[in-house]
Amino acid sequence: MRTFFTLWRKELSSYFLSPIAYVVMMFFLVVMGVSFSLLVSVMASGPSGVAVMKELFSSIFFWLAMLIVVPVLTMRLFAEEKRSGTIETLMTAPVTDTAVVLAKYAGAMTFFVILWLPTASYAYILKAFSPLTAPVDLGPMLGGYLGAFLVGAMYISIGLFCSSVTNNQIVSAIMCFALTCVAFFAGFAPYITRSDLLRDVGGYISSISHMLDFSRGAVDSRPIVLALSVSALMLFTTIKVIESRKWK
Amino acid sequence: MIKVSHLTRQFPGCTAVDDVSFEVGRGEIVGFLGPNGAGKTTTMRILACYLPATGGAVSVAGYDVFRESIEVRKRIGYMPENVPLYPEMRVDEYLNYRAQLKGVPSRKRQSRVDEVKDLCGLKEVGRRIIGQLSKGFRQRVGLAESMVHDPDLLILDEPTIGLDPNQIRQVRELIKGLASRHTILISTHILPEVEMTCQRVLIIHRGRIVASDTTEQLRNMMMGGARIVVEIRGPRDEVLQQLQSLSGAQRVAVSGEGEWGCYTLECAKEADLRADIFGLAAARGWALRELRLEKKSLEDIFVSLTRDDPEGAAP
Repeated sequence: MRTFFTLWRKELSSYFLSPIAYVVMMFFLVVMGVSFSLLVSVMASGPSGVAVMKELFSSIFFWLAMLIVVPVLTMRLFAEEKRSGTIETLMTAPVTDTAVVLAKYAGAMTFFVILWLPTASYAYILKAFSPLTAPVDLGPMLGGYLGAFLVGAMYISIGLFCSSVTNNQIVSAIMCFALTCVAFFAGFAPYITRSDLLRDVGGYISSISHMLDFSRGAVDSRPIVLALSVSALMLFTTIKVIESRKWK
Repeated sequence: MIKVSHLTRQFPGCTAVDDVSFEVGRGEIVGFLGPNGAGKTTTMRILACYLPATGGAVSVAGYDVFRESIEVRKRIGYMPENVPLYPEMRVDEYLNYRAQLKGVPSRKRQSRVDEVKDLCGLKEVGRRIIGQLSKGFRQRVGLAESMVHDPDLLILDEPTIGLDPNQIRQVRELIKGLASRHTILISTHILPEVEMTCQRVLIIHRGRIVASDTTEQLRNMMMGGARIVVEIRGPRDEVLQQLQSLSGAQRVAVSGEGEWGCYTLECAKEADLRADIFGLAAARGWALRELRLEKKSLEDIFVSLTRDDPEGAAP
């Protein structure tokens, strides 16, 4: 447990020791700022329903940010250690493979949460400057954050796995982008296939429709189970990949 | 400290380590020698619990490297070849992080870090970013890192590669200084280094141990006898004949032009004829300007052991 926290702190701080953290934060805040201005303009155009939060949590800008930020955050986790050889010093220290994988995941998740923190001010800004008494519903807002957290958790676990199978950051990022795009584009299944099976499966795994539900305040258990189980599976697989060097 | 028996490691298409057995006792400094690709790094990686063995048993401090890997890893400091470090961290940060990771208790951590920084001459670069340090300093950071938790066993893979002669000397002194507290296994292909730092040598070639002994013993073993070189001014035939007749002399060869003749005597094992030769020259009134016992260098031994022709393969 102690080694886990040591590793976790190192992972988190190494984001801030490289320019990646600042570039990603900047990109993310600009994109989310555009989403926020969309939200404001929708609200300004007249009374709006509960669906207004989707401007923030399911706009094209939100997805742009998710699909690009996650591969960038996760690509170096294992790939860089393997390329530079530090994996050898890391794995010959008295740490378990599981602790290393979980600490890297926790570090990336923590950074992801930090990325979202400034957007908490949006609620305050709306409250302070809107003439309405209750400009935002708490439900859709919290739902949106929960959804973003879950989708982030799932995507980051996919990214971590991609990073563990290669020693090239670019390969890792592109693999992660491709795999997360599957979950993203699954929402378009009804438009691209006639097969009922594919449409059903697409509906289940579609990140877009999950985020739309969450940002309406409708918290369904199925996407939660999906996100948690995919994350668990990916973490398990990553641990096995790291262990595989010890297979005889 | 280290017990390796019948260790084998196969990679697809090649056997890197083939039925290797050796032991290293507590407090020994052992040089692990071999040409490139002989299996040194693979063996060290197995000892450091980074790679599993295909066959055989390896234990460090009584713990099996495969089944009790965490216990083993607590007791070793391993410095891989090329010294991988995190270039974005500062020296202090890195050493602190590694000390913490290796379980140095927090109240001792600062003093341990200071101690190894002192030992490795890193005092003035503590605040520097590792990526901006010179190769020599990075090497020392790696060395400091490997011993920050005061391990029983240090495994150093080519610790002096890429250093300038002064730095090599410093590192060598440093390693010698560590001998009192640690058992050390050093791999290298720089021979004088082994002769200067190690008490014992393991020579590995094509995945097999071809020699394992003290440097002194290895020399004796490979010599098969002593060789004496002597330069004498005197009638050649007579000198030659007299030298031949010394008891213990097996073969005498002569070379050199002019009045000085250079004679090389191959003698039986442990026979030291230098005093006899001096006596002979003095009695006959020959001038003598050189008389020395030639020792085979480790390099000769290494070459003869790791040459690929069959006669040289095994002593």
